[in-house]
Amino acid sequence: MAALAAPTLARRRLKTALHGRLWPFLVPSGLVIGCVLLYPLGYALYLSLFRYELGTNTQEFIFLGNYSALLQEARFWESLARTTGIVLSAVGLEFSLGLAIAYGLYRLTYGVRVFNMLLFLPHIVTPVVAALFLRWIFMGRWGLLSAGLLGLGFFPPDFLGNPFWARITVVLADAWQFTPFMILVLYAGLNTVDQSQIEAAQIDGAGIWTLLFHIMLPAIRPLIVFVLAIRIMDAFRFFDQIYVLTSGGPGTATETITMYTYALAFRLLEIGKASALGVLTLIVSASLIALMIAAIYWRERERI
Amino acid sequence: MRRRAVPQILLFGALAAFTAINLTPILWAFLTSIKQPVDAFSVPPTIIFAPTLEFHTQVWVEKEFWRFLINSAVISISTVTISVSCGTLAAYALSRMRGRSSRMLLFGLLAMRMFPLILLAIPFFVLAKTLGLINTYPAMILALVAINQPFTIWLMRSFFVDVPHELYEAAAIDGCNVWQVFSRVALPMVRPGLGVTALFSLLLSYNEFLFALVLTGPNTKTLPVAIAEYGGEDINYWSLSAAAAVGIMLPIVAFMMALQRHLVRGIALGAVKG
Repeated sequence: MAALAAPTLARRRLKTALHGRLWPFLVPSGLVIGCVLLYPLGYALYLSLFRYELGTNTQEFIFLGNYSALLQEARFWESLARTTGIVLSAVGLEFSLGLAIAYGLYRLTYGVRVFNMLLFLPHIVTPVVAALFLRWIFMGRWGLLSAGLLGLGFFPPDFLGNPFWARITVVLADAWQFTPFMILVLYAGLNTVDQSQIEAAQIDGAGIWTLLFHIMLPAIRPLIVFVLAIRIMDAFRFFDQIYVLTSGGPGTATETITMYTYALAFRLLEIGKASALGVLTLIVSASLIALMIAAIYWRERERI
Repeated sequence: MRRRAVPQILLFGALAAFTAINLTPILWAFLTSIKQPVDAFSVPPTIIFAPTLEFHTQVWVEKEFWRFLINSAVISISTVTISVSCGTLAAYALSRMRGRSSRMLLFGLLAMRMFPLILLAIPFFVLAKTLGLINTYPAMILALVAINQPFTIWLMRSFFVDVPHELYEAAAIDGCNVWQVFSRVALPMVRPGLGVTALFSLLLSYNEFLFALVLTGPNTKTLPVAIAEYGGEDINYWSLSAAAAVGIMLPIVAFMMALQRHLVRGIALGAVKG
């Protein structure tokens, strides 16, 4: 009996040690996420159903009133359209530039490591500091670009004060800080492409562009979709740079949806309406994520 | 590799030119920080001038930016301690659990990483105000833990996944219980990863602006908030704010040097492995 029971017991203990009771490891993190992430989010959802103004201390349940007010408001739609425009231009620029540089680095035989380091620096600079660096370039009169143009005898536009140029500046600022991310990820991706496939194509006489567009890009397609998804999400919610560069101005020329939410919540203290706007932003970006993920899965299935 | 010399030189030149343009804003800020205002405000910009470190000392000592550095350090280090210790446990469990539920959890975490942060900042502000926690460290630390946690779990998990499963089996056969398999086998194996994760988490906390703007006050203001206020002010203080901005960037350069080999993993693979 004992001789039979012992190995069974040992085996059971082994199995427990290997597979059993891993869930307690999730408890601390789960508690943290529950308390500081999920609970506040739920609270925001709750607040979005109230007319809740900190300034006048009103608190009145109006159900979806905030949402319908926002959806009928021109400022909401304008900021949404503006955000979409800025995000798509910035991410488009980052991707094309990032791909060009990454492919250049891939072809380069000497000095790649140093380039990688130097090119990467702007990405991890504190966004507020990065925005200031760029402000000192684009600033009217004394900014490097304006002063340089003046020195050459040109009259520069007011990069931060003119609505059109302010939007361009905001896009360039985003690109300055996030193109390095694209370079890094795409360069890593290009290096994972099967070498034998590349050699076969080269033997068939493929030039460097054919190689890039017909062999390498299709091979890293899931990575591209993923990195674009991440960048679009992040650009959509980005706040720091615009706050420092233009604070949404001049007028509302660069007021993105996040800047608008910030103004509602922390300048006008209309907490309820701002929460509703935050929820709407979440819905817009969640549907974007869903689209992207659907695209990834669709591609994957197509390949199998 | 057969590559001809001329295209290589052209390629090198093009990349070097791009890099130079890319680094100009940093270089310009650095030059401004060591210039006298007279030189800083000349049009066209001067290249030759007598450098001075006067503004660097002035901003950190007289303008008391060291206080904000201490605030930033206290907040970031507490955040990393909480976030990485909880996150590591969860990451270990998620790296070993198979099946639908763990995939759902991982996907949920990824989705949380994408939340518009402003949606989280509003309830945090209201709650902190109700509890009287505005302008205290705990409010800011908790907020940063919330933002950090999903990322920390994902990055840590990518290190745990690389540990060969046979090691766990061997440890279990030797009589280790669940906790010992984790603490004696898994944890020592991922020690480098733990350092990498902690540093990335530190960077995230050090750079954070939105929550700091909303939740901190005169006593707890972090460096990004301080420099944003200062840099937006009168242009006469240009050299001073440039000195502060360059100073804030220096730890980040050190960070990059320390993590050279792990940058791709931290930034790209940590995110891309999804």
